[in-house]
Amino acid sequence: MGKISYMKLKGSQNLRQRLLLATLSSTPILIEDIRADATWPGLLPHEVSFLRLLETVSDDCHVEINETGTKLKYKPGIVMGGRYLEHDCGLSRSIGYFLEPLIVLGLFGKKPLSIKLKGITNDPKDPSVDTFRSATLPLLKRFGVPSEGLELKIESRGVAPKGGGEVTLSVPIIHNSLKAVTWTDEGMVKRIRGISFSTRVSVQFENTMIHAARGIFNRLLPDVHIYTDHKAGAQAGNSPGYGISLVAETTSGCFVSVDTTISYTRGNDDMDIDERKELMPPEEVGEEIASLLLGEIEQGGVIDSTHQGLLFLLCALCPQDISKVRVGKLVPYGIQTLRNIRDFLGVKFVIKPEPATGTVMLKCIGCGLKNLSRKLS
Amino acid sequence: SKWKESLVERTISRKTTNLMQLVYGKSETKPDDSSHEDIDADASDEDDEFFKPKSEGNKKSSKGLEGDEVNTDDSSKFTNYASIKDWKDGEIIESIRDRFVTGDWSKAAQRGKAADNDND
Repeated sequence: MGKISYMKLKGSQNLRQRLLLATLSSTPILIEDIRADATWPGLLPHEVSFLRLLETVSDDCHVEINETGTKLKYKPGIVMGGRYLEHDCGLSRSIGYFLEPLIVLGLFGKKPLSIKLKGITNDPKDPSVDTFRSATLPLLKRFGVPSEGLELKIESRGVAPKGGGEVTLSVPIIHNSLKAVTWTDEGMVKRIRGISFSTRVSVQFENTMIHAARGIFNRLLPDVHIYTDHKAGAQAGNSPGYGISLVAETTSGCFVSVDTTISYTRGNDDMDIDERKELMPPEEVGEEIASLLLGEIEQGGVIDSTHQGLLFLLCALCPQDISKVRVGKLVPYGIQTLRNIRDFLGVKFVIKPEPATGTVMLKCIGCGLKNLSRKLS
Repeated sequence: SKWKESLVERTISRKTTNLMQLVYGKSETKPDDSSHEDIDADASDEDDEFFKPKSEGNKKSSKGLEGDEVNTDDSSKFTNYASIKDWKDGEIIESIRDRFVTGDWSKAAQRGKAADNDND
């Protein structure tokens, strides 16, 4: 057997993205120093869970972790996809953490992917499942992903600390490659949509949040609809919580989204959570989320800050055409993504600030990734 | 005249590379984190103290914008609490009026045009 040359990396940062890019570019990687100095060293439960997920959706991939979990060897296999898969995402991170890399991976599979994910559906750390439906999936369609077979179904909701949510993700495969975009026109916000939810608390929480959020939008736009999704019984998961996600749709088909979730944090992970924080009252939640959405709109760009990473990644995966996009301010995760893209795919963006609008224009030539898994059949 | 044009061009290109430098670093395309195997410099002092307390402050360092830190939190969600404004204020809300269909459409169109002109 030939010797495999591993790309050597350090640290736990961007583990998901590194694994994703390693899989897409078929680059074996070796990561060292994963939280070597931390009180709990090595890979965290959600990271191990993500590795298991990679094993579930692909064939012939090879994962090796040393005893303390501070060293990881990953040799990517072929993404198979397939139906009726299942994965328990655990409770240390929400389902959103797993969805982000999974939707990209699914596109380059052999067969369309359909997978049931269990865990936390809404959580303040990762984009919620509602944001995925309202903003992430439309973003994929921009790049030529067929809309049939692309969906996220929320079977039940679950918030931290005990989860109990369940969603089904379906991703179609792309038959050749993605489509490069020229996407610089932000348009004007024509409507605001949203969805609030509550699990194991009164529906009144939702009404209060919506009322507060509407109060801020009312002076700007009449077309504001925020739906409620009150869950009860088995569909409400195991913990009480409430939250809201909003998306602003523009005349040029851009979706700018924000979301938030209020629930108790997990007690077991950190020792110093004796003082249980008081939950933020729904009225403040509504006002804050509305303000955050207006902040995103003010900043400009064809997507919100949270989606920068995915946007850049999709641009880089395009055929060898020029993609041109406009974003607001570059955020840390976006910058990290740009660096990872350079390291794995060899794609470098031309980044130009636009002082007149305070936005940033990015241009790149895609790496021309084709769906090779499919050709094998 | 002609010699001036090249100067202007050069200044513009220097300005635009700033953001690229921020992202990709100053030197060439050499990836910074995929380093070769380094032998620990402090390996020799290890005899002095067998147990070394790890500083807690070190690992709790802020998630800096630089992104150079190893082991930062892996999350794409970015919530800008820092620049949150009081959108109930009439003046502030008028400042983004033109980004909505209820505002001035010609100004919004200009935003798009500015982009087309200065590129290419």
